[in-house]
Amino acid sequence: MDETRMTGTAGREAGGENDPRTGRAMDTVVRTRGLTRRFGSFTAVDGVSLDVGRGEIFGFLGANGAGKTTMIRMLCGLLMPSGGEATVAGFDVYRESEGIKRNIGYMSQRFSLYEDLTIEENIEFYGGIYGLKMDEIRVRRDALLEMLGLQAEARKLTRDLPLGFKQRLALGTALLHDPKIVFLDEPTSGVDPRVRRAFWDVIHEESKKGKTVFVSTHFMEEAEYCHRVSIMRDGKVIALGSPGELKREYGRSTIQDVFIEVASGRTAAGGGEARAGGSGDSAGPAGKGGEGS
Amino acid sequence: MRRIYFMMKKEFRQIFRDPPMVAIIFVMPVVQMLVLSFAITTEIKHVKLAVADLDNGVATRAITRAFANTDRFDVNIVTDDPAAVKEGMRSWDAQVGLVILPGFGRDLARGPAPQVNIVMDGVDGNAASVAMGYAAGILQDYAEKSAAGAPAGAAGRGAFPARMQERMWYNPDLDSKNYMVPGIVVVLLTILPMMLSAMSLVKEKEIGTLEQLQVTPLGRRELLAGKLTPFLILSFIELAIVTVVAVLAFGITMSGSYADLALAALVYLATTIGLGIFISTITGTQQQAMFVAWFFMMFMILMSGFFIPIENMPPFLRRLTLLNPMRYFLAVVRDLFQKGTPLSSLWKDMLPMGLYGLAIFASGVMKFRKRLG
Ligand SMILES: Nc1ncnc2c1ncn2[C@@H]1O[C@H](COP(=O)(O)OP(=O)(O)OP(=O)(O)O)[C@@H](O)[C@H]1O
Ligand SMILES: [Mg+2]
Repeated sequence: MDETRMTGTAGREAGGENDPRTGRAMDTVVRTRGLTRRFGSFTAVDGVSLDVGRGEIFGFLGANGAGKTTMIRMLCGLLMPSGGEATVAGFDVYRESEGIKRNIGYMSQRFSLYEDLTIEENIEFYGGIYGLKMDEIRVRRDALLEMLGLQAEARKLTRDLPLGFKQRLALGTALLHDPKIVFLDEPTSGVDPRVRRAFWDVIHEESKKGKTVFVSTHFMEEAEYCHRVSIMRDGKVIALGSPGELKREYGRSTIQDVFIEVASGRTAAGGGEARAGGSGDSAGPAGKGGEGS
Repeated sequence: MRRIYFMMKKEFRQIFRDPPMVAIIFVMPVVQMLVLSFAITTEIKHVKLAVADLDNGVATRAITRAFANTDRFDVNIVTDDPAAVKEGMRSWDAQVGLVILPGFGRDLARGPAPQVNIVMDGVDGNAASVAMGYAAGILQDYAEKSAAGAPAGAAGRGAFPARMQERMWYNPDLDSKNYMVPGIVVVLLTILPMMLSAMSLVKEKEIGTLEQLQVTPLGRRELLAGKLTPFLILSFIELAIVTVVAVLAFGITMSGSYADLALAALVYLATTIGLGIFISTITGTQQQAMFVAWFFMMFMILMSGFFIPIENMPPFLRRLTLLNPMRYFLAVVRDLFQKGTPLSSLWKDMLPMGLYGLAIFASGVMKFRKRLG
């Protein structure tokens, strides 16, 4: 209806702030202060403050139920925060969710393309919804199909694709309209290591082009591919920094070890152990005591 | 506009790729029409007859024989106890009862037109009315024959020595096809839009695409417009099919204007599509949506006067029908078909129907919040 809305994808330029850790100037595209979300008396996200810059790959680690999805949904404008502030691409999450939507791509934790549409129909549909012109859609569709090596299958129903391809198609679709920021909620869960590799190739490429990538994951080795990671527990960010910094800070050689120490609580007897144990790769002995947060 | 176009295109693709959907849309009206065509039989044979002959004279036995001699009636029960007729009907051994009171033969001979009582099982109203016609014919036949060689007193009464007293049981107002077929139009425009819009909206919620759509610039209104316009279009196609079949295949006379019918349908669709949206907001799976839609549908059809005429309902239920938007649309459609009343004179039904449509559609849309949580 509003034709200007679909073409104007430029976000607001945020002022040059300084990275709280490194002190270097950065172009902040996501900024939260004390962001909180409650469900009834339960606090799923508890006072999170973050600054994420342009082109950054920002990882969200945390056991099941730590609040990663809730965090991402608030930043996408899908869920109203209960408190705190947040801006995405310079738009306020409370009042300007329409502005946010023009500047982000989102890949939810559940596969959410239409299984009863063909691959090319899905691409065409989302391209159309994002206001791309028909010839633009064709160009991007062909590029995406080529990247996925799916030219021959373009007319197959999406339902019949193997999971790995489905996930890569969903990623491609989330990037179709060339958003400034993409939120990927566990994009690689359930796919084999080779596909995961391909995924991260795409993510790095997009980051080089200046896109900001938010990605949540349960795979600790994926954390090593991020520029910065945050580790969440019970709705709070309890560790934040580049993989190298975190490893130094906690004196561990892998992010996995850092995660086990941080996410499972200070002691093995802590209530957090069961939570960490529940999440795929993070399962393991959590018996190392240490100063968590 | 472009976004709505893409949404509609996608919706049509999905509808025609889903066999159950296609079945609901195109097979259901055909099935309803077929069922109805069985109900509206015009020729009936071997109607089960029970005769309670309380007179048991020459004349009455001749009448009984006259019934037995055609293949239209099978005389299953001959008795002198009127209660046995009722019993026979209850046990499905009789569909029609002929009750001849004592003194029939005497009255016939003397002159005053004696009375024959015919009772029918009105559950199958159409068959009953046809059988009634046959019975009248047979009686008249008998009357003419007996008049030919009868005493002068009776002959002087002309061709109608016997009066037939009809009484319909169970369904006192006989539904004719002119009454039923327009009702099918109403039923279809109730079930189809409500069911389909509820199911297709809930499906998006169920498979997670609704959330995906919510992060796109697609507005809530565009989303609903794109999703529901296809069902509006399909409903009109359905209306056209059913009307054409009713007029051409069933010989229903459409006395009113088709434009009026379309306009009334549009107003009514606001209600049923609105209900579909509403149902999608209170259910989480297609199964739940189907169940709730079915519940609404049952209430609406039963309380509309489609099967049971509203005037025959107890006062409480009669008042309850005022809450039912379908009641008004049914009245409008029947008036349009049978009497050809212009829509402007039907404001007594159109007004409440329009108000319901407005209220239900608006609250459905409002409840369909773009933001989750
Ligand atoms: N709509 C909701 N109503 C009530 N509680 C909710 C709701 N959504 C999430 N929660 C709760 O909030 C907590 C955080 O959930 P969230 O989905 O954000 O976790 P997560 O880190 O994404 O976990 P996972 O790794 O399993 O995806 C969980 O305990 C969850 O049960
Ligand atoms: Mg999650």
